[in-house]
Amino acid sequence: MQPNRMLPNRSRTSVLVFLLPPLLLYGAAVLFPILQSLFLSFFSWNGISDMEFVGLDNYVRMFVADDIFWRAFLNALLYLAICLVLQLGGALLVASLLTSLHRGRELIKTLYLLPAVISTVAIAFLFVRIYSIDPVGLLNQLLHWMGLGSLERPWLSDVNTVLAAVSAPEGWRFTGLYMLIIYAALIAVPKELEEAAVLDGASRWTLFTKIRFPYIRPVWITTTIMATTYGLRGFDIPYLMTNGGPGQSSELLTTYMYKTAFTSTDFGYASTISVFIVIECLVAVGLILFLLKRKADS
Amino acid sequence: MKNLLRAAAVAAVTALALTGCGGGASTSPTNVAPTGEIKPREISWLLSRPADGAVINIMKKLADDYGKDHPGFKLNLITTPDRPSYIQKLETLAAANKLPELFDTDATPFAQQLAKQGKMVDAEKLLKTLDIYDDYRPGALDYQRFDDGSLFMIPFQFELEFIWYNKALLEKAGVAVPTSLDDIPTMCTALRNAGITPIAIDGQDQWPLERYIAYQPFRAAGPDFVQKLKKGEAKFADAAGQKTVNWMADLGKAKCFQDGFSAQGYSDAQNQFTSGQAAMYNIGTWELPSLATDKLNPDVRDDIDFFTLPTTAGSATSANEFVSPSGIGMAVNAKTYDPLVSDFLKFALQKYPAEYAATGALSPTTTVETTLPANATPLYRKALDQAKDLGSKQAMPWDTQLDPTTNGRLQQELVLLVQGNISPEQFTATMDNTIAQNAPKFFK
Repeated sequence: MQPNRMLPNRSRTSVLVFLLPPLLLYGAAVLFPILQSLFLSFFSWNGISDMEFVGLDNYVRMFVADDIFWRAFLNALLYLAICLVLQLGGALLVASLLTSLHRGRELIKTLYLLPAVISTVAIAFLFVRIYSIDPVGLLNQLLHWMGLGSLERPWLSDVNTVLAAVSAPEGWRFTGLYMLIIYAALIAVPKELEEAAVLDGASRWTLFTKIRFPYIRPVWITTTIMATTYGLRGFDIPYLMTNGGPGQSSELLTTYMYKTAFTSTDFGYASTISVFIVIECLVAVGLILFLLKRKADS
Repeated sequence: MKNLLRAAAVAAVTALALTGCGGGASTSPTNVAPTGEIKPREISWLLSRPADGAVINIMKKLADDYGKDHPGFKLNLITTPDRPSYIQKLETLAAANKLPELFDTDATPFAQQLAKQGKMVDAEKLLKTLDIYDDYRPGALDYQRFDDGSLFMIPFQFELEFIWYNKALLEKAGVAVPTSLDDIPTMCTALRNAGITPIAIDGQDQWPLERYIAYQPFRAAGPDFVQKLKKGEAKFADAAGQKTVNWMADLGKAKCFQDGFSAQGYSDAQNQFTSGQAAMYNIGTWELPSLATDKLNPDVRDDIDFFTLPTTAGSATSANEFVSPSGIGMAVNAKTYDPLVSDFLKFALQKYPAEYAATGALSPTTTVETTLPANATPLYRKALDQAKDLGSKQAMPWDTQLDPTTNGRLQQELVLLVQGNISPEQFTATMDNTIAQNAPKFFK
């Protein structure tokens, strides 16, 4: 590490002194549990028995012998994809539209942000009602009114629709939040740049792809990372709405890990899954940075 | 990198040290009558019962009474009525070796491990020392026993599970009360054809559907089937297993349960039945206050009746043997068991049955007569009377029997089987495989 020559010695020390407490807190609250999980993942332990060292057995079981793990992993990726499309796509769309709106911006911003402040449990119950078929919920009633009666179904009991059905509330919930961030970035794009481009005859699409988007790229990277890590950690809404069911149709890695730890009391194996989730999140962030950097360089 | 490794090593050692603290010593679980001075203090009961239910209200009152003669005594009742959350709490506290003086648990494999480690007081000896062992209904105690017959939990309830039905709806569909379990699928088809939901079920909580898979084997092979199944000594591929798997699939094919049942909760199911939309509803006597009093919707009040679990041809168990649980039991922590806890239990357990029966519920003992509530319908008495003529065997709910991983998988796969998403063959293969993988760890 290069010492920072701009800072005189004394203030460097004081910076370190001020950085130390948060660093220690971070170590105790984040690093220590991760390391402990890593440690536990080499053991078989149900909480009350003696801990038995099993080496890599848990990892072998996870990768080779556990069909639910792979199912949950694929579900988690699909859940992530749906959340990202709804959150980032929806946010970008709404934010772009907002910039061209002259009246009522504040109202729309507030309306979109509203779901982000409602409690998760309330959202879960709300959507259980919306998807219900008996008594008829909002979604099925709407389909009925639109003459799409053939599409009516118990969305949360149908193995083909349940994953999308539990992903949508999570996506819907945070669209407003990301919209706000992206909107703030979009209005910071210098007007002169845009006007110059328009004078040169750029279409709205060119304007967006060549001027606006490159300008907001740093913010876009941050939001993508935020949305991805939140998506990979998604737990509460699926757990509350379906508890992973029917079968394993809406089981995510997180809900599966939770059940393995607290229902099956298989703390060793649950730690193995949690180690996988940590690595998965790191890989995802690395991948995003790599892809977006390469794009920016090209 | 070196620092990181060192940090990891420190973390590992600390973790080891922390878990090492977990295996503290405990007093002997067989010493049920500790001698010494009674020193009043605060004790806690971690429980999973309705917050304003009879058990909690009565125990609160008894603790207050006891506290009057023993200043400084207090009973903290910490309840988590939601069962899955409760079990997680219990297991986490057990792992940390932080269980309170009293705690609720079913006779699960996990509880049996706790008992084997000497963490629970022997309840049979305890009740015998208090000279109240013989007061209890044998069925109420049996429900709490582990497979080896040992008793470590004390019951506070006694319930009977019936299939409640709506006479008018059955008549409308032209079907009679089933005489055999095997009649139910055809009955459902007839009800569906008449536009009636055959059975209302709480699919969200999963245990109600799990009851159904226990019925056929209980009739065909008796209570032993699940005892063997959970250890892998019997299989779903066996005759009794196949019978229940196919029956469950038939129930699904006949659309016995309401549409989208897997996402519907306890009150959804009950509302469907009490509003006259569903013809049948399988629930226990704990719902008597809402099903057999004037609280019940007047439109259906005269049409509601119940039947007990039907038998089958060549049934190994008789009609007066069905699911009769004594609820989640209370275990006594051996580590914190002292003259005070012993003395309080003696006081409370002797007074509890009379107070409990006065609320209109069935006491786990035979020493008291249940008081009928003033607003009871004739069905209330009829339901209570079933307790007088019970056989010696009872159908155990499978969720208290199987190891937790198998149980979780069974609950998931059952929904798929009933919804027709998987075939009976797939179900059989998956479940037998799951049991083979997980049972050995729990039933060594």
